[in-house]
Amino acid sequence: MKPTPANAPRNDTARILRGGCCSLVALLLAVQPHHARAATAPQSKAVQAKAWREIASLPDFWQGTWQSVSPIADDFPTPPEYTNSALDYIKHYRPVEDSPFANCQPLGLPFVMNIGGMPMKFFQSPGMIALYIESSGMTRFIHTDGRKHSERPNPTYLGESIGYWEGDTLVVDSTGFVPETLFQLGKLDKSALAQGDPSPLSGVIFGKHGANLRLVERMRLADFKTLEIQTTIYDDTVFKRPYTLPSRRYIRGIERRNDPQEWACTDNRDYLDPTSGKLEYNSKDKAQNR
Amino acid sequence: MKFTVPGKKMKFKCLAVAIAVIACSSVANAHHSFALFDRSRITTLSGTVREWKWANPHTWLTVVVRKADGADEEWALVGSSPNMMSRWGWNAADIAVGDKVLVDIFPARDGKTIGALKTLFLPGGKVLADPAGAMGEALASGPATLPTKPEGVPYK
Repeated sequence: MKPTPANAPRNDTARILRGGCCSLVALLLAVQPHHARAATAPQSKAVQAKAWREIASLPDFWQGTWQSVSPIADDFPTPPEYTNSALDYIKHYRPVEDSPFANCQPLGLPFVMNIGGMPMKFFQSPGMIALYIESSGMTRFIHTDGRKHSERPNPTYLGESIGYWEGDTLVVDSTGFVPETLFQLGKLDKSALAQGDPSPLSGVIFGKHGANLRLVERMRLADFKTLEIQTTIYDDTVFKRPYTLPSRRYIRGIERRNDPQEWACTDNRDYLDPTSGKLEYNSKDKAQNR
Repeated sequence: MKFTVPGKKMKFKCLAVAIAVIACSSVANAHHSFALFDRSRITTLSGTVREWKWANPHTWLTVVVRKADGADEEWALVGSSPNMMSRWGWNAADIAVGDKVLVDIFPARDGKTIGALKTLFLPGGKVLADPAGAMGEALASGPATLPTKPEGVPYK
């Protein structure tokens, strides 16, 4: 909410109107369906038991872990409709020479979902789905209790996520990101790339997202072994209209080796040299990039 | 794990896997540098372990190599994350300071004495492959094949 401006009307009518509005808001809150209210008091055993039974009937995202089998970078097969400022940024963009994530700097959404190598695991409890992403050692908290987004979510790397089921699809709506999350806004044309460049990041356009970046992910099982996640990016500082990326694929692993592990990032011998833009090896000061 | 299934079928399978690896090698190079090391060349080092750091985001193996002229040279070798490596059979206790090791590496493009781990040959005969560059499928299911002896150009 914005602070009351200094020139706001200060007469009785305004006060009555304000009071009326407050009552209306209170009434609206009171008539919200039961599940839409975050619990403020302990739930009874019966209510909890019912919630767990409902969970049991949901699509099985829960067994084992999910390993990405999609390339790290996103493809943009349909050219996005960029804003003028984004077009200008792309025109002057110099591709990164090396991995911008070979150190302990957190990635944040959306790119945290792109990094393979290590699996991720879903956990479920009444009103919340947690998604542990091993490659960053971070856990996404997806609220499924029917709440709405906060009016002013404090910015975080993983944002504020709200989830709901549309049939067998888990829809996750996230917003409230810090400016530093790694954001890919496109891909350079193949003709602009050096031939035989082995980097999976060649041609990737990284850039800043807007403060109101919003992501809508649609997660569904293609079959028991395969999870598909399709992400739509809402950011009117970059795209004139929301852009839907091709689905990413993850395969399920249920053996012990697929168990999730701790990820504590502590050794920063690799660091990106800010002057050269290249990844360097630094044996003297391991903490240089923190 | 089975490594020896002779016959044409296996050869074809290997070829198919190799093509798939090349085609999809972009999947799992996750946290790695792409520009620092030349992944088209393999160098074989023979040396003594000075440091073995089992930590994220990368493991580091420091090896002292005695050159032909008698001088000692320190090599810093970066591996994948302990998480990925443990799924491919590595254990932090596999390596101790003072161990004599043979190691295949991808050397630095600029000639520095650093490298990216490829395969480690331990004194007891254990062979460990670094999962960097493997596909998601291989990361979820473990390494397909392991070399039995070093494949690189010996460093002298």
